[in-house]
Amino acid sequence: MSKKLTRRDFIKIAAGATAATGLAPVARRIVIEPFVQPPEETLPGQATWYASTCRQCPAGCGIVVRTINGRAKKIEGNPLHPLNQGKLCARGQAGLQVLYNPDRLRNAVRQSGGRGSREYEPLYWSEALDLLAEKVSSLGHPDRMAFLGGLMPDHLYQLTNSLLTALGTAPPIIYDLQCTLEGRRPATQLSQTFFGTADLPVYDIAMSDVVFSFGANLFETWMSPVAQSVALGSMRQGKLSGRGLIVQFEPRLSATGASADEWIPVRPGAEGYVALAIGRIIVEERLGHVGSHRDNAVLYQNVDVREMSAASEVSVDTLRRLAQAFADADRAVAIPGGYLSGQHNGFASMLAVQALNRIVAQIGRQGGVFLSTPAPTVALRSKPEVNTLSDVRNLIKRMNAGEVDLLLIHGTNPLYELPAALGFAEAIKHVPYVVSFSPFVDETAVWADLILSDHTYLESWGYQVPSPGTDRPVISSQQPVVNPLYDTRSTAQVLIELAARLGGRAVEAIPWADEESYLQELVTELYGSSLGAFDARTPPGFWTLWRQYGGWWSEKEIRQEPETTDIVQKPLPMVDPQFDGDPEEYPFHLYPYSSVALTDGRGANQPWLQETPDPMTTVQWGIWVELNPQTAEELGVEDDDIVLVESPYGTLEVSVFVYPGIRPDVVAIPIGQGHQDYGRFAQAVTGSNPLALLAPITDPDTESLAWGATRVRLSPTGRKKKLARLESIDGQGRESIG
Amino acid sequence: MAKDANQSDEGIRWALVVDLDRCTGCQACVVACHAENNLQIVGEKEAAYGRWTHWIIIHRYWEGEYPNVKARFMPIMCQQCSEAPCEPVCPVFATYHNEEGLNAQIYNRCIGTRFCGSACPYKARVYNWFRPEFPEPLTEQLNPDVSVRTRGIMEKCTFCIQRIRRVEIDAQAEGRSPTDGEIQPACVQTCPTSALIFGDLNDPNSHVSQLAHSRRSFRLLPELGTDPGVIYLKGGEVNV
Repeated sequence: MSKKLTRRDFIKIAAGATAATGLAPVARRIVIEPFVQPPEETLPGQATWYASTCRQCPAGCGIVVRTINGRAKKIEGNPLHPLNQGKLCARGQAGLQVLYNPDRLRNAVRQSGGRGSREYEPLYWSEALDLLAEKVSSLGHPDRMAFLGGLMPDHLYQLTNSLLTALGTAPPIIYDLQCTLEGRRPATQLSQTFFGTADLPVYDIAMSDVVFSFGANLFETWMSPVAQSVALGSMRQGKLSGRGLIVQFEPRLSATGASADEWIPVRPGAEGYVALAIGRIIVEERLGHVGSHRDNAVLYQNVDVREMSAASEVSVDTLRRLAQAFADADRAVAIPGGYLSGQHNGFASMLAVQALNRIVAQIGRQGGVFLSTPAPTVALRSKPEVNTLSDVRNLIKRMNAGEVDLLLIHGTNPLYELPAALGFAEAIKHVPYVVSFSPFVDETAVWADLILSDHTYLESWGYQVPSPGTDRPVISSQQPVVNPLYDTRSTAQVLIELAARLGGRAVEAIPWADEESYLQELVTELYGSSLGAFDARTPPGFWTLWRQYGGWWSEKEIRQEPETTDIVQKPLPMVDPQFDGDPEEYPFHLYPYSSVALTDGRGANQPWLQETPDPMTTVQWGIWVELNPQTAEELGVEDDDIVLVESPYGTLEVSVFVYPGIRPDVVAIPIGQGHQDYGRFAQAVTGSNPLALLAPITDPDTESLAWGATRVRLSPTGRKKKLARLESIDGQGRESIG
Repeated sequence: MAKDANQSDEGIRWALVVDLDRCTGCQACVVACHAENNLQIVGEKEAAYGRWTHWIIIHRYWEGEYPNVKARFMPIMCQQCSEAPCEPVCPVFATYHNEEGLNAQIYNRCIGTRFCGSACPYKARVYNWFRPEFPEPLTEQLNPDVSVRTRGIMEKCTFCIQRIRRVEIDAQAEGRSPTDGEIQPACVQTCPTSALIFGDLNDPNSHVSQLAHSRRSFRLLPELGTDPGVIYLKGGEVNV
């Protein structure tokens, strides 16, 4: 009898044999079990969702992360979170590639070949912490230490601040490129000047009928892009009162501008003039439905509409039509955006824009401007405030003068993010010891002696009060969604352990045993608040619900009406824009803009974001300069031709993208590429950092970087580099190789 | 149009509505799709040859000239046609039509003739020119519900069929049917402006059915008679 052995039988026998040989005879079945002892909450093959907070930008959106067998598999928006309401942007979706990035540091490391050698030697954490403690305690004077940070989670800022204060050192300097591009510091100052509070206002786009956005890329990277996009959805098609209108004022048509109903290509730096002219027309012609404008007349007493029209290159007819639309709307709001703040006259322009909300009586009204109500506990209110560029400049000066012996850097990459002309790269060489907390070897970490690699955000604890917030108090919680992949350590934990080693006032200031107990103590202060969306019976129960919900927020909407200060009793300032570079020699305005995918460059190490096409140009993985078709023709260049861009401070070679939506006197370059370090995906893109071109000038009112105030010139190089576009420019469609 | 097995009014017909008045071109859907469906990354050089693997691409159309220029976005994904031109050309029946109106792709049948890609009038199909590479530990990001396609395989948007099944199974376990809006492909789930809405077109009360009857609705290349399952809503009209 010959029975043919089928494939299926063979597998059965083989499996049986394996079971018999591999296991003790008592075993009746094989279970593929990835953990020796699986964590309590984990069932093999079953997804568990953890709520946390996104840290890809400072907005503070709530996320839920799908984990399977202890591995994070997908990030989605937290549907309960009042800020982003279950939605997430491209960067938020790509967060897994921060966690699973192949170029992460896996230990605390010391540069064994000296700074800049890129040779690293792993350290035990106890060794690394001893080293840090020794460096701190051997300082001649506490002033000789400095801490430079990015916009970090609130709890870390508080710990850092407490520790530095206890040591007698100056508070951390908070400065990163994203905050600069969105104009966070000037916006805070505007709020202070206008409403007498440092809280950033919320512009109620959802309920507005007419939105005037002055250089705010609302649906890309400015402030809280997901919340603003959610609002756009309801404004456009979600309201019974009809579809809202958006007008975008900016020299280059951004993706936000493309989504707007009208784009007004204002001359760079003249946005404030447009706002002044619109205000003057409304007040003078008594437009709208707010009754008397007598109180507001003083604001515009020096404004001449014709002059403003000439200076901004927006016709008087257009200004009048826009003024009419703004004043006649039931609900209108004007938003002073990041591009405004990046001008030499930025603050004056922002005041002029905010004043528009005042004259149509939209402050504190639905569809206008309001403030979010702060959290009910004092401890949770302290949050990082962005420093001015002058503060950073002072630090650089001190570093150059040899007054800084120990520099700690967390969450910012000044070597990439600061204009090269500020000379940070040179100054860091004068600091005897530099400690970085970066999870990646970025351009700055290369110049650190010691890298105490932090966890990535999906492995970290924390909380954040979103700022700008939303229509109710919100505190967003952050918790590890997976166990840390490597032997990295959270910076908050490092500071706590450092304080314990230093003893004395340091340990008195931050006496907690670990980060989690510190957070738990802080957070359970909210226990018992009657506002909360959930009720807990005990403080530990509150801590559990806090993590399950992804934070704490009010169940009901609580808006706060701002009170305007006496700024509104003086004529609005009118300041001429100034630009660095002689207009004869450098005929174009440079507009560096933050990229939807890469933000300020922090996304460049994530391949999903690199492969994401830019919405307007459809370019993936690249850097380009956008030229008006007329400008391109005058220069004799076309798509993909490499041009040399020169400013008084630096040069850059980059491919041309002929862009119909840009003023002929403006050229735009996206920020985010041009990394020398920061991992294989960031370094895969050839090109240099556009920040090398920027003039290190500031708006004197806010002392913030005037990043839109540099002039450049362009010259063809005769070479070509094809950009990786999604769209086909030769009409042959995809795969037209040749 | 003659009714056949593909076009039953009974049962489910999954459909996606794309509201162009809400779309900001922000690319959140594109990255969400990459994350959910284990799409490969091709890198700059291959992307320049058009060998990218996005299942959704957002077309950008310029209108007019400076200064009266406008740009409009249009997300394009597999249109899940009832009369799909890609189906009859496949020599190995790798692409077929399921009973829920989905145009499905069986990866391990595919032999890479790319006939379907040529036949698709919407250019929604992508081809794996290379073996996907996920440098360790990027493999950890892979969704275990979705197979990773290797070189030589054609692929395209599936309406996240694994997410449809996940919700169906969970609902079944609770002894109920999925509610309207409960099933969300990854792109729909993340879309910040809610420009994407997913549901059953055969259910007259579903949100997609309601929107499909909007006077703003249209489908792409209707003259081809493909009867797409993706319905677009016109944008850009002031005070509709």
